[in-house]
Amino acid sequence: MGKVSRKGIFFTFIAIIIIAVFLLVFTPQADISLQKDTKAVGARIGAVDSYVSDLENRYFETVLRAATYKTILSLIYYMNSTGSYIPDFDASFSEVMATGKINGVPIDSITGKKIMENNTLTDWNNKIIEVSKDTLNANTTITIINVSASQSKPWNIDSSMLVNYSVKSNVAEWKRSALITTTTSIEGMHDPYYLANTNKAYTNRIKKSTVEFNQWNIAKVREHLRNGTYVHWENSDAPSFLMRFTNTISQSPCCGIESTVNPNRITPSDQRESYADYFFWSHKFANNCTQLYNITGLWDEFRHFKLDFDHVARYNITSQDAVRNC
Amino acid sequence: MSKKKGYFFVLDAMLALMVLVIGIFLVTSSYVNVPEPAQVSLLSDDLLDFLSDTRIGDLNNPYAGIGGYLWNHGEITDSDNSLLQQIGEFYSAGRLDTAERFIQNVSSGAVPQQYMYEIWMDKTRLYPKIPSSGHSASRNGTGLLLTSKKLTFGILNRTTSDIWGPYRAEVFVWER
Repeated sequence: MGKVSRKGIFFTFIAIIIIAVFLLVFTPQADISLQKDTKAVGARIGAVDSYVSDLENRYFETVLRAATYKTILSLIYYMNSTGSYIPDFDASFSEVMATGKINGVPIDSITGKKIMENNTLTDWNNKIIEVSKDTLNANTTITIINVSASQSKPWNIDSSMLVNYSVKSNVAEWKRSALITTTTSIEGMHDPYYLANTNKAYTNRIKKSTVEFNQWNIAKVREHLRNGTYVHWENSDAPSFLMRFTNTISQSPCCGIESTVNPNRITPSDQRESYADYFFWSHKFANNCTQLYNITGLWDEFRHFKLDFDHVARYNITSQDAVRNC
Repeated sequence: MSKKKGYFFVLDAMLALMVLVIGIFLVTSSYVNVPEPAQVSLLSDDLLDFLSDTRIGDLNNPYAGIGGYLWNHGEITDSDNSLLQQIGEFYSAGRLDTAERFIQNVSSGAVPQQYMYEIWMDKTRLYPKIPSSGHSASRNGTGLLLTSKKLTFGILNRTTSDIWGPYRAEVFVWER
């Protein structure tokens, strides 16, 4: 009897243990919860990672390009308003771009144009910080280390921005440093060299000439002068577009551009100068008339137009249309 | 003696039955009837990804694609814009009607019939601009409404480098 009783208890315990194991293994709650959490965290990380990628690859570049254009435009208007050159282009470019100020004064208040208002790098960074917080509940911090502009091609400005940024959400944190670069065309912008030298009386917009270097002749020079177009010669002494902001009239190895001064738009129109723009206002040939040629082939429309010998040769002007000045 | 044996087996059987009943009750009660969110979530993500990853230039649509109605009327000028950017551009220019028609054209067929959806930009509902009563009732009555969000921005004018945004773009999807 005692034996039978012990067997029953044994089987009961076995049954209880099997059911307990069954319950532990197949209780679905734990599995669902874990899977749900993993999916949610994965989705959240994916969303913020996509934002970080957009920020570095698209947003910073778009903002840098826009801010570069507006900063250059503001500096041109600044020169137009003040009639003077910019002593330190790099410092002014950086200050205007980041803060909208030049020497601590809002540049828009000097130019009288609302160009930099709400368009500085700081403004755009603040906007993305606010929207990312609102949209993704991510805390973004952006620190601009340095911005600069330079030229490696005659018709474009290369701008760069070194930036440290971090994005922190409740599931992960991204910390990165990036060098953002972009290119802005100078075509359509006013030439600051004309503005400063004529006290705003003569403005000329940058427009690239379509004439190939070996296709020049007197007729094309006439069009060139009429339209105020610009040309880039290999190995010329011309300054680049950015050098024109600081009156740095020397050879740019990569990016020299030049136009010709229209004698009908200056007073007096007859000056003993080469009318290649950078020679005209630097008075390179003022005391060297033996090197100057009256381009008489154009005097019916552009009386007193002169060029130095080097430009006469470059523009392929023949002796029939050019007479030595003295 | 034999009486005692009978009691014991009856007790044993009852105990086993009780354990089984409790076990079955616990197991069945663990299966809570929760609506499956995966499908709706995927739909809202997919719709937002479709809008943000598809360029105007890649779209074959007689209304919104290249050579389509909006393109020919000069309302779309940048084929590199994504559909989401184009919606943002319309919004920033205040062309909300055009934005609504654009969304309607590009998203029709992207979401199965049994689901409804809304698209918002910068906290403004663009599609549907004015929801029908059925639409509102469906939204208010749904047990599961999911949203996907993304930041978007773009260039308004390439010449002047004017930028629009950044805006919060949101897609809401729910089952009818």
